Amino acid sequence: MATLRLKPSLHHHTKWNPRSNQKLRNYSNWNPRLNHKLRNSTFSGLNCIYKRFDIRSFSKIKPGVVVRASSTNTSVEEAVASDVLFTETFQLKRSEKVEGKISVRVDHQKDDDKSQVAIGCNLPGKWVLHWGVTYYDDVSSEWDQPPPDMRPPDSIAIKDYAIETPLKKSPLAVEGNSLYEVQIDIKVNHSVGALHFVLKDEETGAWYQHRGRDFRVCLLEDLQDENDKVGDKKSFSLWPGDFVKMPEVLLTAIKREANGQEPNGDGKDARKKAKLIEEFYDEYIFMKEKMVGNYLTVSVQENEEKNKALVLFDTDLPGNVIIHWGVCRDNGKKWEIPQASHPPSTNLFRKKALQTSLQFKENGGGSWGLFTLDKELAGLLFVLKLDGYTWLNNNGSDFYIPLSAEIGTSSVRPTEKINAPEGHKEEDISNDVKNDTWTIEESGSSQLEKSQSGANSPVSRVSYTDEIINEIRSLVSDISSERSANMKSKDARESILQEIEKLAAEAYSIFRSSIPTFLKELVSEPEIEKPQPKICSGTGTGYEVLCQGFNWESHKSGRWYSELYEKAADIVSLGFTVIWLPPPTESVSPEGYMPKDLYNLNSRYGTIEELKTLVRRFHEVGIKVLGDAVLNHRCAHYKNQNGVWNIFGGRLNWDDRAIVADDPHFQGRGNKSSGDNFHAAPNIDHSQDFVRNDLKEWLNWLRNEIGYDGWRLDFVRGFWGGYVKDYLDATEPYFAVGEYWDSLSYTYGEMDHNQDAHRQRIIDWINATNGTAGAFDVTTKGILHSALGKCEYWRLSDQKGKPPGVVGWWPSRAVTFIENHDTGSTQGHWRFPSGKEMQGYAYILTHPGTPAVFYDHIFSHYRDEISALIGLRHRKKINCRSTVEIRKAERDVYAATIDDRVTVKIGPGHYEPPSGSQNWSLIAQGQDYKVWEVL
Amino acid sequence: MEMSMVGCSQMNAERVDLGFQRLPCCGHERICNKRDQIKVNLRSKWRRGAIRVSLKEITPEKCIVREGCLKMSHDKTNRLPLFVGLPLDTISACNALNHAKAIAAGLRPLKLLGVEGVSFPIWWGIVEGETAGSYDWSSHLEVAEMVREAGLKLNVAFNFHGSTARGITLPKWVLKVGEENPDIFFTDRGGKRFRDCLSLGTDELALLSGKSPLQAYGDFMESFKSEFSNFLGSTITELTIGLGPNGELRYPSLPENPNSTGVGEFQCYDKHMLANLQQHARTLGHHQWGYSGPHDAPPYDSSPDSSNFFRQYNGSWETPYGNFFLSWYSNCLISHGNRMLSKAAGIFRNLPGNSFPVRISGKIPTVHQWCNTRSHAAELTSGFYETSERDGYSDVMKMFAENSAGVVLPSMDLSDSIVKRVKEACDAHGVSVSGENSQLKGNSGGFAKIKKNLEMGLAGFTYMRMGADFFSPEHWPLFTDFIWHLEMPEKDSDDVAVGSKGAQTFGGVSVSHESKEKTLQLQA
Repeated sequence: MATLRLKPSLHHHTKWNPRSNQKLRNYSNWNPRLNHKLRNSTFSGLNCIYKRFDIRSFSKIKPGVVVRASSTNTSVEEAVASDVLFTETFQLKRSEKVEGKISVRVDHQKDDDKSQVAIGCNLPGKWVLHWGVTYYDDVSSEWDQPPPDMRPPDSIAIKDYAIETPLKKSPLAVEGNSLYEVQIDIKVNHSVGALHFVLKDEETGAWYQHRGRDFRVCLLEDLQDENDKVGDKKSFSLWPGDFVKMPEVLLTAIKREANGQEPNGDGKDARKKAKLIEEFYDEYIFMKEKMVGNYLTVSVQENEEKNKALVLFDTDLPGNVIIHWGVCRDNGKKWEIPQASHPPSTNLFRKKALQTSLQFKENGGGSWGLFTLDKELAGLLFVLKLDGYTWLNNNGSDFYIPLSAEIGTSSVRPTEKINAPEGHKEEDISNDVKNDTWTIEESGSSQLEKSQSGANSPVSRVSYTDEIINEIRSLVSDISSERSANMKSKDARESILQEIEKLAAEAYSIFRSSIPTFLKELVSEPEIEKPQPKICSGTGTGYEVLCQGFNWESHKSGRWYSELYEKAADIVSLGFTVIWLPPPTESVSPEGYMPKDLYNLNSRYGTIEELKTLVRRFHEVGIKVLGDAVLNHRCAHYKNQNGVWNIFGGRLNWDDRAIVADDPHFQGRGNKSSGDNFHAAPNIDHSQDFVRNDLKEWLNWLRNEIGYDGWRLDFVRGFWGGYVKDYLDATEPYFAVGEYWDSLSYTYGEMDHNQDAHRQRIIDWINATNGTAGAFDVTTKGILHSALGKCEYWRLSDQKGKPPGVVGWWPSRAVTFIENHDTGSTQGHWRFPSGKEMQGYAYILTHPGTPAVFYDHIFSHYRDEISALIGLRHRKKINCRSTVEIRKAERDVYAATIDDRVTVKIGPGHYEPPSGSQNWSLIAQGQDYKVWEVL
Repeated sequence: MEMSMVGCSQMNAERVDLGFQRLPCCGHERICNKRDQIKVNLRSKWRRGAIRVSLKEITPEKCIVREGCLKMSHDKTNRLPLFVGLPLDTISACNALNHAKAIAAGLRPLKLLGVEGVSFPIWWGIVEGETAGSYDWSSHLEVAEMVREAGLKLNVAFNFHGSTARGITLPKWVLKVGEENPDIFFTDRGGKRFRDCLSLGTDELALLSGKSPLQAYGDFMESFKSEFSNFLGSTITELTIGLGPNGELRYPSLPENPNSTGVGEFQCYDKHMLANLQQHARTLGHHQWGYSGPHDAPPYDSSPDSSNFFRQYNGSWETPYGNFFLSWYSNCLISHGNRMLSKAAGIFRNLPGNSFPVRISGKIPTVHQWCNTRSHAAELTSGFYETSERDGYSDVMKMFAENSAGVVLPSMDLSDSIVKRVKEACDAHGVSVSGENSQLKGNSGGFAKIKKNLEMGLAGFTYMRMGADFFSPEHWPLFTDFIWHLEMPEKDSDDVAVGSKGAQTFGGVSVSHESKEKTLQLQA
């Protein structure tokens, strides 16, 4: 006779769930109907005999809500009741695959010799076609952007190699099947050889590819790279029509095997002869992965008399669900196998665990099971095994169900979880495939061990292999028993072959995803794992690219600030992160380098208001702004009694005590200059506290009032770098760079190879600022002049095989440039060799240091080339601390590899990166320069 | 049947059987012993997929029989252990484990394919990168553990050189020594230093913080031995000792690009080498020969005939001076190899416990440039005194044989004439040869070349190397195809008599019918 007693136990209710009203609601939902069979069994032998145990109601049970069970089945003679010791509903998340179809249709319209490519997808979703083309005569596999008139409306250009076009719901949809489609028109004169695409699901961010590659639609004949063309079936048999799940975001679409029929390639071959492919239709099956939520409710009831605990499982997981379980006797959660009398359909799994299949519910909506266990046991440990190899666990650990009330209410269930309402939602169960690890000892003694390693631990994957090896083994033993049919082994062999291929495909995708490609630019390369140096004023983030935002003529229009305002978006799109604006103060010379009243910011470049608007604008687009601070000298307002201009006006009304004493022109009464003299204006004596305090106040005013982020410091040769440190410490700029410009060393008119003395002077200055500022790398510019101008590329390597400029010694503080408003523009004091500018940029934009690009070059025909190089710099994460390996520095060619991922060559000579382990791909080139990147 | 069976285990034995049933070319064979305790009945048709195998009455004796056949068949099976190289950047320059997930995923299909193991480069500059005598093996141990877990073997290559191209230098403390004393590096006539490898002239000079390079290498290997004691002889089955630039026993005669078409230059101009040369010249009474290397050798990228030394006819190489210099130059290299290999042998000869001996090997370059000219110029500059008149590899192989070391030959996918010649020299001295390919070839042509070279009979082959390309849909099927056919002679097995020497294998595990039968008879 059944003696199951279900007894209300209110003290548990209140403890677990203060919201008693909910309890009532759930109470009415809890409706286990125990059928008559219950009566025929004693409880000790009760092992899942509740065949019609109705557990629909379980689905409504919320975790942390106590449920009281009662029987409404009148056939149960004795009212059975028991303590519900524990109930918990685990939310299970797993991925489910939905089969979809990607179709490619090419229609040819003879009249106007154009084709239309329609790419469609039959699953609903926000689909975006990410595509590009290769031109007929282009043999490289790089994508190009299609000609503008090929791009359907709503297309967005992604950099310079791809287009993204959303798929639209097609009116052609038939029989209720939705079809999302995009149509692309192609004319013969586009000479587009092939169209490449991947499909992107905006909602999940997943990319769908064809066999791990781009889809490729061949449009013109001749381009017969048979290997990865869509529609080509060669070698396909090696990749059986099994849908390979790529982990993470890459999913592989595999061409439908046309029900195992012969490939339909014959007809197509004939068509290939046509100039434009005339007609073509093909479909590709892909699996879209969907996250599906399911639940599993486990409740424990107590049967006091028999000292047993009943564990009821209820889930809406479809398909066969196996509870892979064991018990534990203490909190150590060590798996053990309970004593005999296991539930039906239970198998012993390698002497370490039990596997019990749950029974399907009658209504088909899931499965359930009931286990009876001794109450002395502390708890039940389990994981779920779904069809195939899907294992579900509880956020990386085993599910744990306490069996005794003491444990159930005290140590195991953390109270905060119960009290916090949001705690319920957190019971997410990750769908990590097989987090727990079964390892088999080398001896092969089938010892199963529970490994603690998580899903991400590489080791855990071994288990999977071992399982297959086991299967191979069992296969062999199957064979050894004569009964087993040959068919079986054949099937099994096939499945092993498939398994190997699946594993290889998986390894492929993981390897691919650990290599940066254009699809996943954000994948970090392993060597970038170094801790990011923190932002400091000497370097910014280290990834800065500086734009010099003016030239010598910029003052002429009188509205330079407004003109730059218009260009802000353009400048950011080129990849610049910092802009250097001209000196803002009132100035005796229109260009601003002879400042007078430092607080008067109405200048020939515009008004203070325009300046503020401009700085705001740059901040909006994400560019930091450097102010050009002229600290060395200042023009006086008034003459002194001797008729010497040395009395200042405005807010900083200093007198001759603020002027250095060693310049006879201005009769200063301050201390001697701490640096060189600039003879055109009174040099300020930075050694005096009042001067420095006033200047700090002024700089801070510029920071706060205008919004400058940092400084370009004019003529820092004129005063000690230690004062610069003082100013920078006081103003905490984001970035600062000083102009320390003096002459390189020459012997008999020939520039010396060794410019160490020159760069040492710059380094000394940076040192004096304590590294708080960078400095323009005048040395590099000078050496580039000779190297490029006179074809002496050997100069680009110093005696130690490093770059010969400041960048070779202190790259993070070197601001490399090839031209500025003084050296070039209309002044032309020291102009870069004409026509070699792009070689110069190829050098500084690929090398460490912080490159600065001159305004005149940005807005010239070099624009695209410069932009490409900056793009490359960002993409390959070249920064001011990157390492340079000089490959060649000979008469007519210089080549270097930066950070192992970019190789640059400048000069007319020949250089190709070695075709060794790294796969170099030419990414940019121009007159006498080439840049390669590692794919 | 040898090694893989050694781990005892039913498991392997059974996999052998699986191998049978996957063979497309099994003949009708019946092997049984007289007591009829074991019946192995292999019947198959020469058509794909339809192979029937049945094993009857598997008895415990099976294991014994198999183990018996181990000893019997030790030298007779054609089993070719196939290794696959781990990615070069498995351990990053800063000694961190890269691609752990990908490698773990990649090991599984390899294991299933029957690949014997993986080869794993260990860089001196990474493990002992910062300070002399402080070794960080942690990430390397992780890799070894991963390989062991995957049930694969490990072939460790000690790289005592750097590879600037890959961002791996010699240890920083060594480079620091080199800044003060650049003569520790190989140096060419123009004074250019090769900073990726220490000059072999320094081998026994205590230049590295009181230690000689040889001691440093030895300490490094000792440290490895103690750290990996659990793996040596079980998981780790082979150690390839780095013998010079690119790991190969050679001079860096073509430092920029070893595949360049030039003849290369002699690299004996660091002061230690020059001192050695001078001493040598004095000993022979030709002190005037000891001041420098050949003055008439051409620069790197030249052809042999561009100057006098390597000229095909009447070149200096054929003169007594040429013989003097080239003998010295090549003997220095051989002595260096001898020092390295005997050091390694001394360290790894007696492994603790009952672990199996670890094979020790060294790499020999395949210098294919100009190898069909009379002077063999590129081989001469790289240190092999091989000309049309002289067998230069014999002395080298003698040295290997004396150290019971095996030879690893790279570039199995490229050259064959030079490979053949080296192989002959090895055979003459009983040195076992294993092969490597130079690069992943995405076409079957490369594989065909490898297969052809393998027909010479190698002790093993390492395929370079695992990575995205390796597992790509273009490459992987070629590789599996390569493995399937590698060790299965493509003959109709109906033509092979039962008991013939033909061995049939399933990816690295081979079954020699001959030996099996013998064993069975023994049992009977």
